[in-house]
Amino acid sequence: MPSTMPRAEFRGTLSAAFSAFALGVRRNLANWPILMGRALFYLVAMAVLSALWDKVSAQRVAGTLASSLPHGGLTLYIGVTEWITLSVAAIHLRLEDDIRLGMLEPHLLRPKPYLLQKIAEAMGDSVARLLGIGTAALIALVLSGRTLPPPIAYFYVAILGPIGTAIGVLIYAAVGLAAFWVRRVLPPYIITQKIWFLLGGLFAPIGLYPAWFFGIAIVSPFAASIFMPGNMMIAPSATAFAADLAAQIAWLIALSALVALIWRAGLRKVLREGV
Amino acid sequence: MIPTYAANIAIAIRTSLMDRTNFILNSAGMVLNDIFFLILWYMFFVGFRQVGGWGLHDVARLLGIIMLVVAISGVFFGGYRDMAATILRGEIDALLTQPKSVLPRLLARESIATAWGDLVMGIWMLCTFAALSLYDLPFVLIGLVCGTVVYVASAVVYASLAFWFAGARSFARDLTDFMLLFSSYPGSIYAGMTKVVAYTLLPAGFIVLAPVAFLRGPSFSTLGVMVGAALCYAAFAALAFHLGLRRYRRGLVPTG
Repeated sequence: MPSTMPRAEFRGTLSAAFSAFALGVRRNLANWPILMGRALFYLVAMAVLSALWDKVSAQRVAGTLASSLPHGGLTLYIGVTEWITLSVAAIHLRLEDDIRLGMLEPHLLRPKPYLLQKIAEAMGDSVARLLGIGTAALIALVLSGRTLPPPIAYFYVAILGPIGTAIGVLIYAAVGLAAFWVRRVLPPYIITQKIWFLLGGLFAPIGLYPAWFFGIAIVSPFAASIFMPGNMMIAPSATAFAADLAAQIAWLIALSALVALIWRAGLRKVLREGV
Repeated sequence: MIPTYAANIAIAIRTSLMDRTNFILNSAGMVLNDIFFLILWYMFFVGFRQVGGWGLHDVARLLGIIMLVVAISGVFFGGYRDMAATILRGEIDALLTQPKSVLPRLLARESIATAWGDLVMGIWMLCTFAALSLYDLPFVLIGLVCGTVVYVASAVVYASLAFWFAGARSFARDLTDFMLLFSSYPGSIYAGMTKVVAYTLLPAGFIVLAPVAFLRGPSFSTLGVMVGAALCYAAFAALAFHLGLRRYRRGLVPTG
């Protein structure tokens, strides 16, 4: 009997997390005008960024990195990195609100873990965004008349992209938990976001960075989040896919542990000192 | 009208400075944000040298000007940012009973703390990376005034959509973000449809590209384009807001 109790509890926790995930998906799909707005923002950003990289690729200035750009330019790579970045739900704002406004207390009295519920909901939110923005991206890609990548690249991106987004949600969850210590999470958010853009290779593959900087970027969770899925569009390979998948799973586990640690430390502080 | 505006915005600025820690964190966060942006562009130009004839100095001018435009708008006209929400929440009811114009009162409602970070970085960027001399200062100031007028006027037009559409709150913000996005990239990349958009709906062309062109080679024709655009966008913003306010007075505005 005692051994079945934790298992039932675990199953209940998982079931509640899944419900929160489904809620996130449904809520986002129900707010379809906002989802369309995000897709529009994605298309506008892509119009600007593809114009930039098409210009650089077309010039091919001798003696510069332009010679190492892929034949079709970087539009497909940027398409994936932007897709992931814009799909990551703003969990940090929800956590900040709950922590700052003292709304944690009622949640803590409930039997389901607050943080897991919030993360699951944000994951659902992100999945709906991935679907909405991804659809817009595919339609734009077909209409653009650009050379399409091999079909296997889509498969790799379809696996690595959502996991990269999940890594992003965990990074922002860690940022949101900073609200236990700072009044507003905007400054840590802005800093983390920009480090993410830089080390993740949002605007250009980190392979174009100097070797020493590439060495730093590639071992960061930011590269696992956006560079690895994006790179599959320009250099798809089964070996790289397997290695990237392993790196992403390792980062998912490491970041989950980090978020749990920050949560416990923050909770201890709130229970001891209040908000 | 100007003394009232000055008094209102002075209160808004004092309010934004009241929470020192929050103010410092927000401003410092924006400084770091801008530094990362500069690093990204620096690395880009180390690798690719130029894009369509634009080098690091030109992009530094562009970034310096857009940061200062956003900074001046945020500090002195910060109400533009949430104007659509203010309209949808019916908060201008109280202003309608007062003798002063509604639009300036709305613009002076808020001063944005993060804008001070942009102000510091914009000045620093123009002083260090933009290869400008003291001789260029009048041209920078003219560009800033014209760019700020177009930026705030466009934001007012986007916010005025709230007089017609309930979903205008996020849409107005999105349009302002699009405008900033267009304003953060070298003008040489725009061609065809993107160039049309950059000089009409999301007027990055008049906010930063024309001022940068003016700095690269001052001419009366560019000056005329900048001043003319500033006047046209300001007039259009005033008209859009006025027409919207007429609807508001009749009670035809959606609520949010």
